[in-house]
Parts: sequence; C-alpha cells; structure tokens
Amino acid sequence: MMSARLKLIPFALVLAAATAFSAQLNDTPPPQPAFVSAIGLSDSAGLRATVFGTPPQDMAALPAKVPLSEINIELPWRRPVPEILWFDGKLRVWISAQNKPAPLAVVISGTGSDGNTKTISVLRAALYGAGYHVLTMPSPTFPGFIVSASSTGVAGDLMQDGNDLYAAMREIIAHLPRKVRVTDIDVLGYSLGGANAAIVKSIDSTEHKLKIHRVVMINPPVSLFSSVGRLDTLFAATIGPGDRAVELLYRRLYAQIANLYRASDRLELDENFLYSAAAATLKSDAEFAAAIAMTFRLQLVDMFFVGDLYAKTGVITDPAHPPKVGDSLEDIQRDLRAKPFADYFARVFAPYYLKRRPDATSASLIAANRLDIITDALRDDGDYYAQTSSNELIINKRELTWLQDTLGSRIIVYDHGGHVGEVGDRRQVADMLDMLAGHWPRSTP
Amino acid sequence: MRAVLAGVLALALGGCASQVISIRTVPDQTPAADNAAAAANAAAVNAAAFSEAVAADAISSATDAQETAPPLTPADAPPMYTYDPWERLNRFTYRFNARFDEAIFLPAADTYRRAPRPIRAGVHNFFGNLAEVDSIINYTLQWRLKYGLRSLERLAINSTIGIAGLFDVAAKLKLPGTPTGFATTLAKWGMHPGPYLVIPLLGPSTLRDGVGYLADYGAGYGINIANLYRGNVSWGLLVANGIDQRANINFRYYSGGSPFEYETIRFLYVRRRLIEDEGLHSKEPARKAAADAPAGK
Repeated sequence: MMSARLKLIPFALVLAAATAFSAQLNDTPPPQPAFVSAIGLSDSAGLRATVFGTPPQDMAALPAKVPLSEINIELPWRRPVPEILWFDGKLRVWISAQNKPAPLAVVISGTGSDGNTKTISVLRAALYGAGYHVLTMPSPTFPGFIVSASSTGVAGDLMQDGNDLYAAMREIIAHLPRKVRVTDIDVLGYSLGGANAAIVKSIDSTEHKLKIHRVVMINPPVSLFSSVGRLDTLFAATIGPGDRAVELLYRRLYAQIANLYRASDRLELDENFLYSAAAATLKSDAEFAAAIAMTFRLQLVDMFFVGDLYAKTGVITDPAHPPKVGDSLEDIQRDLRAKPFADYFARVFAPYYLKRRPDATSASLIAANRLDIITDALRDDGDYYAQTSSNELIINKRELTWLQDTLGSRIIVYDHGGHVGEVGDRRQVADMLDMLAGHWPRSTP
Repeated sequence: MRAVLAGVLALALGGCASQVISIRTVPDQTPAADNAAAAANAAAVNAAAFSEAVAADAISSATDAQETAPPLTPADAPPMYTYDPWERLNRFTYRFNARFDEAIFLPAADTYRRAPRPIRAGVHNFFGNLAEVDSIINYTLQWRLKYGLRSLERLAINSTIGIAGLFDVAAKLKLPGTPTGFATTLAKWGMHPGPYLVIPLLGPSTLRDGVGYLADYGAGYGINIANLYRGNVSWGLLVANGIDQRANINFRYYSGGSPFEYETIRFLYVRRRLIEDEGLHSKEPARKAAADAPAGK
C-alpha cells in the first residue's frame, strides 16, 4: 500500500550528503578568504559539531518516556491564506504536559524550522525530565507560522515577529486543556529563536499579559542580518553562485550514492544506508560548511516565496496571477535557490516595511534587527540568560564580547559546539536547568 | 454502503477545517531509548560507512570489466528535472491525498496505535506473511532465486510455527523479510520508470511502479489464499492492511510547511527508485537516458 512505497529519504540528510561534494567543485583546495571570513568564530570542530550535534555518548540523561500532543489552532488575526498555501492555515505547536501543577517552558525553534525539530526534541526531553510542562513553537520564519500567525506575511523583523509570537503564545496558553496547571512561565529558544525569546520577554515586561519569568537564549544571533549575511557568503564560497552549482553538487552526490549502492548488494535504498553514505563523505571543513550553508538556503527559499506572495513584491510570483494548486513551482524553486538573503532583504523585506514605516530607511531596518534594541533589559534585568560557544559560527568576536559585556555572569560560553552543536550535552542541560531555576551563577562555597 | 462512506468522507474532509483548536495525542517520545539506540548504532554506522567506502574504491579500481561495470560519473546522473507530464492532475491528487490522510488515515492510525503492541505486531506480521507469496513469485521472475528461496522458507516457517503468520519466527532464525513486488520485477526487466504518478490514497509512484502495484494486487486476487482476497472479509482486510501500514510510517503531509513539498517528494521518490534500478543492473554500465530527457523518461 501507499505507505510501504512512501519511505521517504530524510531531506536534510540528503542535503548534508549532497553538500559533501562541494569541495570537489572548487578546483582550488586552499580555503578561500571569503570562506574563512564567513564562518564567524568557528573552527573545524565547531563546523563538525554544527552538522552532527552532540554525540550520543555525551548526551545528558533523558527520561524514558515523554508524552506529546499536537495542538492545531486557528488564530483570529491570520491574513487570508493564499490558495497555494492551503495546508498552512493553522498554527501547529506541541505540548508535553505534567500530571501536576508545574512551570511551563516555552521553546522557540531556529530559523525556518517547525516546533518539532531534533534539537527541540532534545530540549523538550531535558525540560520535561526536570518537571516542566513543555510547549514547543515554530520559528516566526517557518512558513507554517508566517501563514497562520503572522500579521504581515513578511518574516524576519525582530519586533514584528516578536509581537506575532507573543500574541500566538497568549492565544495558545489561554486554550491549553484545563488539566495543564501552569505555575510559572519561562521562555527558551535556540539560534534565531533565542533572539525571539528575549524580545518576547521584553514585550511582556511592558504588557504583563503572560508574566514571563526567565529567558534562556541558546546560541542567539546578535545582528540578524550579519549572521545571515555570513551564511550567504558561506554558500557562495563553498557551493558557488547560482543554481548551476547546486545541480553540479546534486550530480556528484547522485553518482556517489548510486556507486555505493551498486557495490552494497542491498535490496532497498533506506535511511541507514543514506546516513552511512553521508557520514562517509562529509569530511573537510569546506564540506561541513557547505552542508550548513545549503540547509540554511533551503529554509530561506520557503520564507522568500511566502514573503513575496504576501508582500506582492512580484520578485518571483506575479501579484496579479498568484500560482494555483495545479501549477508547477519547480522553476520558482530553482530560481529561489540561487538567491541570497540579501535579495530577500532588498526586494521583499525592505520595500514592504519601508512603505509601511515612513520614517524608516534601509539602515534603520537593519539596526532594528539587532539584539541591542533591548540592551537595557538584557543588562539590567537579571532574568535573561544565554548559552553560546566560543566557536559559534553565526557571530564574530565583537558580537560575542558585546553579549558578555551586556549579560555579565548570566552568559556561559562553551569551548565546543559551534552553532547549536552543544545542545543536549550534560553540561549544557545542567546549566540551562540551573538558569531556569534561578540558581545561576552557581554560588561558590 | 458506498453512499455512507462517501458521506463520512465528505463530513470528515469538510468538518476538519471548522474548529478553532484541535488537540491530537501523538505517540510518546522515548528519548532515553532513542539515544541509547543512536549510541549503539554509531559504531555500526561508522563500520558500514567504512566498508562501503572500501567497496566503492574496489569498484573504481576493478579491472575485470566483465564482472563489474564502470562506476557512474556525475554526467550519468539524471537531470534535476523529473518527467511529470501529468503534473496538473498529480498535484490535485497530492492535495486530495494530504487531506484524506489528515482527515481519515491518520486519525484511524492514531486509534489503531492505542491497541496493545503485541496485537499490532501480530497484525503487521500477518500481512507481511501474506505478502511473502508475492515476493516468491517476483524474486523468481527476477531470477534472484536465493531471495526467493528465503521468502519461501519464511512463508513456510511463519505460517506454521508462527501460527498463520502472527509471529515472525523466521526473522529470529536469521531469515529477515525483504519484500519485493512487480514494480521491482518490471525494473529488473529493464522498464524505465516513466511518468511520475501520484496515485489516489497510495501516494507517490511512477507509471511503472503503479502498474506493478496493480499486478501485486492482481496476483493476490488471482491466488486468493484462504479466500481472503475474494471472500466477505476482503474489504476489511484491505482497510486493516492500509491502516497497519500507515501506522508504521513516520510521515506527515506538509509537516515541513514548505510550498515546494510536491517538488521535494517527487525529486526524492524518483531519484531513489532510479538508484535502486542502478542496483538491479549493477553488472551493466550506467543506465543513461537520452541526454536531456527529464529523470524517469
């Protein structure tokens, strides 16, 4: 039946493997200056950790069983759903509830991701194991969030996204089943979700609707646009400009997997096989970097498409004749794969917000997307915490210093992990739980 | 009967869109066990990756052209475009399938998952055992008699000691199930996948694979073991089989929220089948289609 034939290859894995061949595309083996300057503070270990995450043997003790329910909610301020995005009309979040009154930990996902990623699962397990109800939410840049919960449809503005996220959170928490008895609310987020979490708390501290207690930012960006700019540079340096490079990459991957498969004597191309193929081929820094850049680019493709559709900027879809259910989107997808974030900013984001904010300029839009718009709160309110890594690839030395100066003892910088690659290891989990419990910095006897 | 079904379907498809909030309990997560499994697999994966890398070296350095075909080069890879002349219809079918899955298939699978694990395992093994008949026929047609014999042994053991297939005893005797069907037989015989095809309720396929599934069903119907395929229970069995399969597949339509899911699934499905075809023809040079023909043609 359907399902037997529907064993799907995990897409991210394919991409990770696909990018393995990027190094071979560039005939000059020494790293290009652009590549080196694009990786922030990262090094070999950081890039590897970013791709593979915490090794299973270093993982904190996690509970045997975590109950899980999916909540689909229709939000009243949702904008009309474009026909072609019919499946994204409801916001989908996940709850793992305790049987007794407990604090609620809300976890916000990273760029372009839904509320049920692998990283989210690890955080959920750790938090549930420590006695929290856990509510996990998609990133405001996830297409399902943009369609169901964004008041603009054009994602990426820190304050705007924060307001939408805050409103969605209030709506969901108000509709939680009565048996979920909440004693306190904390918010966490990783990657872009870390910045979102901090903004949401700062909004709440003036509105007082949720009384959010503590916030933990895990590997947050400091300036959104410099972080994504870094990933654009990484893409150009490791994969190349335009879609032609993506196709070359794909061809090499295809040949490689087919050869491995032919030699393997297997009867079926399954996930385990692909995983080992990917693990066998991802080796150099440039390959890891390409895997990271490619993953990010594919998330951008979705956000770009949805943003252009809502903003009616006409970059990729004709506002007068938006695509319909039966129409092919393959050419659109191919065109978008070749477009960096800079194009999204210049042709969708900036035109949309400049039109609606008469006083704004391109420079002011960029400045508004920095974490320092809430410097005072971050510095003076003792309930903001952060965890990051000394080899984090989305920030540079200056940004790390700013985080340390602003948060003081409320930030911990690990010597490993790259971007989000330390999540789940024993120390990260123990520190995160102490931060949430207010036992940080740990007092020395 | 049909009218009632249609009514239920219409209600479910129409009704599901009207609630403001809905809560669906999904299977418990088991992080500790998952991590233990990941740790146990890590070494195995490394070993497998290593041996496959060695094997790849072996083919590329093989001198005996009679035994091994030259390895594929990037130029042999099919283009990123996929042959999909029925795209419009396929896209509507895809949407129908997604809605049907959400409204009927998934809730049914959720309910089924509440049954005790031994019962579900029994159901799964029972259908797996019936499918061995099809595997025996097809391994024979593919002239892969080693696997055909294994399927035959499995059928014999599980139908008797395994009590009509409810227990997979053969797997414990180092005879793992490796089902095959007419789709693979047609591929083995050299047929290209042909146009991409989204089959109502069944999902992604190609013309060739679709014909293969039909032949699988036809073979079951023709042989009609214990009158299960033509008797009074045949519809019930078909539905139970579908729900069992659905409950065992971790896939959710549009869980990635992406507007390009149709493209992504099509791309992955057809590439996966083409690579499996290469495996079936591993003693021959790369199966290259016309220079610029889209993948599958």
